[in-house]
Amino acid sequence: MTPSTLSQPSAPSGGPGVAPPKTAAPGGDDRASRLRSLALRFSMLWVLVLLVVAATVLYPGFLRAANLQDILTQNAAVGIIAVAMTFVIISGGFDLSVGATYALGSTVFAGVTKSTGSVLLAGVCALLAGLAVGGANGTIIARWKVNPFVTTLGISSVIAGLAYVYSDSAPFIVDDVSFQYLALTALAGVPLPIWILLGAFLIGSVLLSRTGYGRNIFAIGGNEEAARLSGLRVPWLVGSAYVMTGVTAALAGMIDASRLGVGQADVGATVALDTIAIVVVGGTSLRGGEGAVWRSAVGLLILATLTNVFYSLNISQHWQLIAKGVIVVTAVALDSLLRSRRT
Amino acid sequence: MPDTSPAPSPAATTVPDPQAPAVVCRGVSKIFGRTYAVRDVDLEIPAGTVHALVGENGAGKSTLLGMVSGRLAADTGTVGVFGTEIGAGGPRRARGLGLVAVYQELTMVPALSAEANVFLGGNLSRRGLLSSREMRRRYLRMCEDFEVDIPPDAPARTLSVSQQQLLEIMRGVQADGRILLLDEPSAALAEHERDILYRVLDRLRSQGTTIVFVSHNLDEVLRLSDTISVLRNGQLVETAPRARWNRQALIRAMVGREIEVTARGGTHEPGGPALEASGVDVPGVLSGIDIRVHEGEIVGLWGLVGSGRTTFLRALAGLDRTSSGRLRLAGQPVPWPRSARQAIGSGVVMVPEDRKNGLVPAMDGTDNVSVGVTRATRAGQIDHGEERRRAERYTRYFGFDPARLGAPVRHLSGGNQQKVLLAKWAARDPRVFLIDEPTRGIDVGAKSEVLASLVRLAGDGAAVVVTSSELEEVLAIANRLLVFAGGRVVSEIPADSPHFRVRDIVRLGFHDQDDA
Repeated sequence: MTPSTLSQPSAPSGGPGVAPPKTAAPGGDDRASRLRSLALRFSMLWVLVLLVVAATVLYPGFLRAANLQDILTQNAAVGIIAVAMTFVIISGGFDLSVGATYALGSTVFAGVTKSTGSVLLAGVCALLAGLAVGGANGTIIARWKVNPFVTTLGISSVIAGLAYVYSDSAPFIVDDVSFQYLALTALAGVPLPIWILLGAFLIGSVLLSRTGYGRNIFAIGGNEEAARLSGLRVPWLVGSAYVMTGVTAALAGMIDASRLGVGQADVGATVALDTIAIVVVGGTSLRGGEGAVWRSAVGLLILATLTNVFYSLNISQHWQLIAKGVIVVTAVALDSLLRSRRT
Repeated sequence: MPDTSPAPSPAATTVPDPQAPAVVCRGVSKIFGRTYAVRDVDLEIPAGTVHALVGENGAGKSTLLGMVSGRLAADTGTVGVFGTEIGAGGPRRARGLGLVAVYQELTMVPALSAEANVFLGGNLSRRGLLSSREMRRRYLRMCEDFEVDIPPDAPARTLSVSQQQLLEIMRGVQADGRILLLDEPSAALAEHERDILYRVLDRLRSQGTTIVFVSHNLDEVLRLSDTISVLRNGQLVETAPRARWNRQALIRAMVGREIEVTARGGTHEPGGPALEASGVDVPGVLSGIDIRVHEGEIVGLWGLVGSGRTTFLRALAGLDRTSSGRLRLAGQPVPWPRSARQAIGSGVVMVPEDRKNGLVPAMDGTDNVSVGVTRATRAGQIDHGEERRRAERYTRYFGFDPARLGAPVRHLSGGNQQKVLLAKWAARDPRVFLIDEPTRGIDVGAKSEVLASLVRLAGDGAAVVVTSSELEEVLAIANRLLVFAGGRVVSEIPADSPHFRVRDIVRLGFHDQDDA
């Protein structure tokens, strides 16, 4: 059955206290409004398409395989975190600590490699560190009901401090070749970080839209009390999303450390804004309860394309910062505006 | 009682005991602030029966239901489900024991689809992935059972209240509980939807499901129940089989003995018309309401929850943007209020029911009274002495001890908060007071002080419109009473009418609802 066959308004409800539908049911009689809502739903996709067209015009080399591969490699780290951030934001939360966790992952990965010589052990340690950060965030936010904004900002400061203490404020420079395998190994001609990025988006997408877990994350972000009353383990579910951002942030730190051959504590300052930007530019709502992983993929490609074009046109990084901030605030403002229209 | 409950079962087992009664409450109480919402209730509901809880507004029915479902933790006593205590496990634990609750206020997730809302907390999955096809099949079959046509992919926020209510009930049925709790399941439903609901409940009963429900609709209660319990003031008055009840007996048990109205206020002659509103509509809630309030007059509004009385006050105070109507103040036509600011500017204020939202809890009494009033200033700076004197003047009027003005209002008792709240609005020197539930949740002494101060307001020439679920209180002070039911005024009774008494008015409030 298609939605339209079900769309006859249900029998008039003339009883007392029965409010009429606030807006016409989707798939309602008005074809134009349906088209409009469809256009709106995929609006960021149209923006991306326009942007790619513009990019190819401004920078003829844009669509070359090597350039595309560069774009993806450079953005693999933030992209992977953005997948997890999508879950956190849909659950109604926020994670500002990913930048510090990214730096911690980078530092621990390089530091442990240096001191033990085992890249594998170092990787496990870095991921466990990310897990611990996510667990701490999740416990404080979901169990103790502390505001996620303040929690992750505070934890972020703690983690950054720990990373500096651990590295004694100096970068760990690793000349072990195996340290760079993570970033430089290529499968079928494509570097490993890109495969990890694709894998993260694929898994995240299935998890969010095709499993009960994902459905429950939506329910919590949309109406936490309803979720609780339906018997969901709200603290566990919310906490799990922060564990995801913690682990992916550490992994992202490892990838970039491996790419550069250096692990250091003073990286990642823009990671939190970058990942949140990716999620909200894609159209996932900061108010929780609505969004999708594919949206974050679109957001990633939009921002990555912009950066790439800016670089190719030799626009200074400072202008890029300004542009990025404007884009993020605009995206959130648009979301707010569309919502207030709707109700 | 055929079922003598076994010795307290060891808490170790969570497997429900099929022989045990479905629900057992022992000495259950719940305290909100300083008042008992539910006090010392003992109740035993045998498995497979349909049990109704009835009572006036605020009698404690929903609170009791909330404790059975695990949503609220009992302050004293225990709740057992099939012989196992729920304890502090909350809704999840109750659900694990086969208990499913459908709450009065909708627990829809607005952004999720109709179908996803029905399966909330009970998603069907296979090998970790959602079984979309199976869920769609069951959803459509359930729609057939309920004889409704709600598009499965429509976000819940686009659906009408009655559609959402039906989805809520479908969620309860889908969860396949052995006990189904329903709080006012039919309040938002139209007549034909109610019939569908009754058929569904009949079928569930024949399948052995235990059903416990709260309802204001006495005909529905008498039609569906095996056993009916009546609550009054948080206490269980009587539990008896259906055969022993009829409408009159239920109303008598709910209302209790008739309370003598001794001190009626507003004995003086009312002055000219202060507020005249006509044709007030709020789409979906109210229609065609007329009211006229004179200076020095107290008009009471009474109705069941959902009858529209609070919405009406909000509309008059400019708080409901969807409302429309015609308004005259002191005989002069004025535009229909579109904002609180506009209403206040024209001398109409609303004192809200919710003290938490009406006051700034962390600020002291003086600041609360001064918020939004033109601040007393001296040389551009706030003149604290003057503000303090003003706050003292207004709070004392309502029986508040000005010595406590310096304390953050969250530390004050409910009664004192109410007095500060009234003072805050009185400080705007309005001509018309719209006062919603001024005595809810405050102790007896404060109640009589608050009521006396409303009489004083009227005596000083203000027009007062007041609602209360506690009918006796309204009767004690009002010159006239408007009875609301189903979004309309069904009756207007002056204080000198022989029908100006609790029993007749309650009957009116229920009567119309059943006829609708």
